[in-house]
Amino acid sequence: MLRNTLLIAKREYLERIRSKVFRITTVLVPVGMAGVAILGGIGGKKMEAGVQNLAVVSNNAELAQQVKAALGNGEHAPKSIEVVTQPTDADIAHLNQQVSDHDIGGYLKIDDEAGQTTPVATWVSGSSTDFIGKSQMESAVTDGLVREQLLQRGMTDGQVKTLMKDVKLNTQQVKNGKAVTSDAERSFAGAYVLILVLYGSVLIYGINIARSVVEEKTSRVFEVLLSTASSDDLMLGKLLGVGATGLTQMGIWALLILGYAGSALAGAQGIHGLNSLGITKVELVFFAIFFLGGFFLYSAMAAALGSSVSGEQEVQQFSFILISPLVVSVVMMMYVMQNPSSPTSVILSLLPPFTPIIMYMRICAQTPPAWQLALSVVLLLGSVLAMVWLAARIYRVGVLMYGKRATLPEMLRWLRYS
Amino acid sequence: MEVLVELERVSKSYEEKAAVRDLTLKIEAGSMFGLLGPNGAGKTSTIRMIVGITLPDAGKVTLFNKPWASASLARVGYLPEERGLYKKMKVIDQLVFLGELRGLGAAEAGRRAKTWCERMQMADSMDKRTEELSKGMQQKIQFIATLLHDPELIIMDEPFSGLDPVNALLLQDTLLELKKQGNAILFSTHRMDQVEKLCDSICLINRGEAVLAGGMREVKSRYERNRVIVQYEGPDGFLQHPAIAEYKSYAGHAEIRLKPHADAQDLLRQAVATTTITKFELVEPSLEEIFIETVGGHADA
Repeated sequence: MLRNTLLIAKREYLERIRSKVFRITTVLVPVGMAGVAILGGIGGKKMEAGVQNLAVVSNNAELAQQVKAALGNGEHAPKSIEVVTQPTDADIAHLNQQVSDHDIGGYLKIDDEAGQTTPVATWVSGSSTDFIGKSQMESAVTDGLVREQLLQRGMTDGQVKTLMKDVKLNTQQVKNGKAVTSDAERSFAGAYVLILVLYGSVLIYGINIARSVVEEKTSRVFEVLLSTASSDDLMLGKLLGVGATGLTQMGIWALLILGYAGSALAGAQGIHGLNSLGITKVELVFFAIFFLGGFFLYSAMAAALGSSVSGEQEVQQFSFILISPLVVSVVMMMYVMQNPSSPTSVILSLLPPFTPIIMYMRICAQTPPAWQLALSVVLLLGSVLAMVWLAARIYRVGVLMYGKRATLPEMLRWLRYS
Repeated sequence: MEVLVELERVSKSYEEKAAVRDLTLKIEAGSMFGLLGPNGAGKTSTIRMIVGITLPDAGKVTLFNKPWASASLARVGYLPEERGLYKKMKVIDQLVFLGELRGLGAAEAGRRAKTWCERMQMADSMDKRTEELSKGMQQKIQFIATLLHDPELIIMDEPFSGLDPVNALLLQDTLLELKKQGNAILFSTHRMDQVEKLCDSICLINRGEAVLAGGMREVKSRYERNRVIVQYEGPDGFLQHPAIAEYKSYAGHAEIRLKPHADAQDLLRQAVATTTITKFELVEPSLEEIFIETVGGHADA
């Protein structure tokens, strides 16, 4: 009966929303996230501070200048770069002293002896960890070397600059029969967000449903409930109630994030609302469908898990089973991204536990045929109901057996029971 | 009288043992029915089949003159043996929720819950969380939850266990009142002394089988009043009367067991003739004695 389902959902929802845990996590999680972001920011600044001062030491003055220029162009450009040419032992000793005194982060020594094919570059610093990435330094030395060689061979400064310009690769995607400028990284950002959100919500709220089912079994409230409501009502009600709690909490967080993204503060940091994710409106609709479908399917699976175990510890032990289809989806992600229409991708995207992530990846990569989209959504929603039904049967049998394993005929009898 | 519950040759077995075997019983409106038996006799299994929590392997369960259907449960109030409540919920919220589940509107459920809480002397606990209350109090909440929707048939599994004497009496009085209003009440207990004065009919079960069933008076009348307690002053020659099978004699006090179909009145006459009698009581066998006599020493109590 729908009335019972709604009553159970309402109770579940209100009790959870009113609980201290709900209030605390709703506030603390964003605070924690902001804290991590701020700490990360400070850490990032510290890193930059570390590479503020360094020296380039070389017997080849031109090469030293070019390496300095290349380092200066880099992403984490040091603030000051001192160039020491034709270093004497005293110079080196002085530099070492500066490193010990933390006046400079370190120095890059480049020995370009005549007759040697490649110069030998050494980074000398105060700490064993690199302030600037090793690859960044290597590319700066290589870059400087090429420029120096080109200049030596008689090219002008302007010619070298033109020659050494980075080429940016533009990508286009065929959508609705037209090639549209796209951004490969950006179009999958939505998929990554979906995976993250789905994974997180299943881990937190899906497990909650399993717990709530176990709790009802151990507190034995079910016997009173089952004398009026059916186990279908009970399971569906729990799913909706606990699910709605999770959605409420995530909704609050999403609003906070959107509020932040739309604010001037974010604008100053180069984030511009949803646009920065590169999600189109159509993709947003599918995001919602697949997230909700996935969320409820995994929650229903959690309910079935809760129905079949006898204690909360077992829920923990078996939660990996719950997560494994998600893990498989993540593993298959790169493949699907590159082969969105291969038979494997198509089949995988139609199997309900994989549908949310795999089908969404396919949508991002290349619009799939409409019938496949429709079929996947129908299968996904159908499997949610089937899972609830199954969970209800398992619950019914599991609850009443008192540790006794149900025989097959008994199971069949319960399946027919309404 | 209208028959509210009828079990016809109902059986239920679990893997290793038969919980209920061929049980037949009937409960009428306006009566109090006691399902008696030692622990593990099959009382709870029987009740669970009546409220549809388990299905019988064989036999028929009829509720309100119709084959068992979940829709009938709206007219039944069920108190399970293992009590369960939502621990973190406020008492009043809990009662309103359970009332709503049984078809009441929220406002009506709230009103009734309040009235019942007052009646059960726990009005101050309504706004407390359930886990803050004592076991006995929680049991009263369950009791109220069972009755909130004014069910015609009230089924209680071991309702008195865990209650102090004051609350047990309160519960007993409430049940009697409900019976007077025409509700049928079925309860199970392993304490037979409790039901003697409460029940109109009983069914005694042992190892899943009914060993004794029927109206209380009728059941008792099947067993002779064959015990006599006499208090006297003077000689005890009357103890040699032929009707006496055996006796225990203390100073001025004798406990006598009569021979089958013996004439107690003749014994009294002879006793009066020979000595001074201060008390002569023909004692009815207690349910407990009847039970032990029926199942022999084999009760699994």
